[in-house]
Amino acid sequence: MEQSGCTIRLPVFEGPFDLLFHLITRAEVDIWLVSIAEITDQYLDYLQSMRELNLDLASEFLVMAATLLRLKSKMLLPLPSREEEEEEELFAFSSPEELFSRLEEYRSFKAVAEQLKAKEADQQKIFLRSTSGKKVLVSDRRQQSYYTLWGGVQALQEIMQRHREQAAAISSAPYLPSEKYSLREKIGLVLRRLRHREGPVTFRALIAENGELIYTFIALLELVRRQKIALFQDRLFGTILIYAGRKREENGNGSNKSESAN
Amino acid sequence: MDPIKAKALIEAVLFLHEEPVKLSQLGRVIPLPPEQIAKLLEELKAELNCPARGLRIFERAGGYQVGTRPDLAPYLEELFADDTTGKLSSAALETLAIIAYRQPIIRVEIESIRGVKCDHVLDNLLRRKLIRITGRKPGPGRPFIYRTTPEFLKYFGLPDLSSLPPLESPTYNKTEKEEVQNSEEPVERI
Repeated sequence: MEQSGCTIRLPVFEGPFDLLFHLITRAEVDIWLVSIAEITDQYLDYLQSMRELNLDLASEFLVMAATLLRLKSKMLLPLPSREEEEEEELFAFSSPEELFSRLEEYRSFKAVAEQLKAKEADQQKIFLRSTSGKKVLVSDRRQQSYYTLWGGVQALQEIMQRHREQAAAISSAPYLPSEKYSLREKIGLVLRRLRHREGPVTFRALIAENGELIYTFIALLELVRRQKIALFQDRLFGTILIYAGRKREENGNGSNKSESAN
Repeated sequence: MDPIKAKALIEAVLFLHEEPVKLSQLGRVIPLPPEQIAKLLEELKAELNCPARGLRIFERAGGYQVGTRPDLAPYLEELFADDTTGKLSSAALETLAIIAYRQPIIRVEIESIRGVKCDHVLDNLLRRKLIRITGRKPGPGRPFIYRTTPEFLKYFGLPDLSSLPPLESPTYNKTEKEEVQNSEEPVERI
């Protein structure tokens, strides 16, 4: 791992149950045979390593740690049973059995969630008839967007290269130019650019012409807010197309589909 | 009505309507008994189920709907951009699964099963209309009661709630909550 460009991906846990469940599965033991002491230690170890990696810990993870410790200490020191005080916590277990039954319940829902995920994937392969503009005929995708990793990297390199050139130009200048761009100017530029063209402009082209990534971006956000332009992206990380006016608006909202089939 | 014409009519209705069509709706234009309409639908379904046809009839949310053959998706995607709102996160799927099986359910019950706070996930699911608030539970705080929607069935291509994959029965003791659940039965069939 000497290379600094390498990132390690840790599994993401959907909460403490998920983590506990993962630990138990890893130990390859039945949920009901896990010793509370052992699982508590593993759980704490994991939290420790997360902290060493500077990961944010959601409070639930810590509450679970406290709960586990309490269960463990209870087993070590059998107390005469006292009335449990009112608890309003997320995890109010009085015995390891209770915890494990909850874990098991969680596991069954997790299994179903997996099946739903498969169904979701199946459904997304079925195209339904829709006149509300949900489907857009794409004139030529290949030309408009880069799908491949390389395409994306290349585009990024182009932009970064431009930035380097600009940075070099600035640093060699005797003084720093003050306020080279203003938002107002940038907005004007974008609008003029759109007026001169029939079709959409890609975000990439806009950056390539105007330079200055951040201001252009802020200008776009501002224009969208004022509904002077519409942004359209046919897929995640695809090319961002910029349209004048709100012509493309109907494409923008898939979630508001028809309300019910009553 | 001549069954052949009736079948053609069924196809036409399924083509035109953008939502699942219920048998009762077909019954309004086709003067035949529901069993016969159902039979014709099955025939139509079988006829479409042929390598040279690009459409299929799917049973979803208590009705029938025409859609494209799943294996054509990669080709269709070349031509059509579908602005689907993206896939659900695993947190959303877990929450949705709990609601689907345990509805009607309130937030703290979901949270106690998942062991995590769920407000954001619930907001997201509400926004996507996969769940809805059907009322408030009497008692302290009068919490919202959540249920799944017909949109949920459509999203996962389910004919109705009873066609959800069976929940592995956990080995824990039944709680009273579960008994209440059992007495409730099919929550919505739309």
